[in-house]
Amino acid sequence: MIKTIKASKSEKILFIFLTTLSIFVFTFFFLLKNKCLFVEKNNLSKLNFKKPNNIAVMNVECGNVIIELYPDISPKAVERFKILIGQKMYDGSAFYKVSENTFVQAGDIEYGNINNLDYSKIGSGKSGLGLLKSELSNDFKFTEGSVGFARATEFDTEDSEFFITLKEIPIYQGEFTPIGKVVYGLDILTKIKTGNKAIYVLRPDYIKTLRMFNTN
Amino acid sequence: MKILFLFILIFHVSYVNADEIYNLIKIPNLEVYKLKNDNNIRYLNTKGNFKIGTNNNITCDKVSINNLNQKFPLIERNLNRYNSNFLKLIRLKYIVLCENLFISEINTGGIPDNKNRTLILDINFNQKYFERMIHHEIFHMIQNTHDEYFDEDKFSSFNKTSFNYAECSTCSDRLNLDLYEKTNGFLTEYSKSIPSEDMAEIFSFLMTDKETIKVKINSDKILNNKVNFIKLNIAKIDENIL
Repeated sequence: MIKTIKASKSEKILFIFLTTLSIFVFTFFFLLKNKCLFVEKNNLSKLNFKKPNNIAVMNVECGNVIIELYPDISPKAVERFKILIGQKMYDGSAFYKVSENTFVQAGDIEYGNINNLDYSKIGSGKSGLGLLKSELSNDFKFTEGSVGFARATEFDTEDSEFFITLKEIPIYQGEFTPIGKVVYGLDILTKIKTGNKAIYVLRPDYIKTLRMFNTN
Repeated sequence: MKILFLFILIFHVSYVNADEIYNLIKIPNLEVYKLKNDNNIRYLNTKGNFKIGTNNNITCDKVSINNLNQKFPLIERNLNRYNSNFLKLIRLKYIVLCENLFISEINTGGIPDNKNRTLILDINFNQKYFERMIHHEIFHMIQNTHDEYFDEDKFSSFNKTSFNYAECSTCSDRLNLDLYEKTNGFLTEYSKSIPSEDMAEIFSFLMTDKETIKVKINSDKILNNKVNFIKLNIAKIDENIL
């Protein structure tokens, strides 16, 4: 005859401990690991803009980032940006250069696409549309969410790469061509993977799509 | 193997404090000291030591803010003598202030970098000649951007035919910065190192001690020719500097 053995007090405590631990592990791996969990989503159908022709929508892992473009400040740069958006050239473009809480940079068409990353050449790729003259503004302040065209050390080398500031960077005033500002979704950009202290990011996050608002 | 090499290369090259200032002028561990100035120059200081250049051969240390605060008025006063248009022409916008600046293990007062529009200054360098050193380094930026005006062969031809400069500024022992009593074509021993240092020494004296130069050139024909050469060519860039 088999006797029913009752669990002792210490066994009960162990059981409760293991159950709690399992719940904690589950939560950690499936919920907290989701970096987008507490990020506010931007529902495009509920947003209205005064100048919808100058609104770009960048979709990344955690949602939509809405950018207002400023053709009055930098007409050539904005025109180039719109052309590249129209050709879907930014789709898959990696945020290969990210400085935590400072800026994110993407847009290397040639070597920075997530499907064809070339770490030895990233940052030097061309769009094939030629270089642009810098359109600097001494009045435009690079506050949080400013979008600027990146360039090489020299001026007049803008092409397709752009950066978005995650904090105010006064030293960029008059140094980079401004193309717009993020109007919604800046918190989404703070979730972009950083390279810790390295300037380049391995296995970077990327732009899923970048479209003009009126074509969405 | 190739992938491993690439991986090591990427991390070796890029493991720096990647911030917004590094992104701009490729020097890590800097912070803004003073941004708004009439001539648009921007002052930065080291918040930590840095190593840059080929094989990290340029090194400089974090500044003590008290030390910098004490020396900054003198630095600013000297740099305020250059207007924004002139600074634009010589590609100078950023002054990096640090302590104990070395290039290839040789202590130096300043390192000009026209490409990044930057001049690195060691605020502890030779206090006796510190002001002169600032203008000396600025001359190198002037020459780098206007080499058509400062032809070294033409300048060297003012010397006696028997005189030869050294092969490079650091491969001779002609390093003393004291003004010669009897100049004989050269203001200091360092002037005898290479033509560009000779020109830079003249320019720095013209900026800091014009009266002494006036006296010296009265009895030194070679020096007189050199001084006129520098004055004439600087005036081609901006006639109000000298």
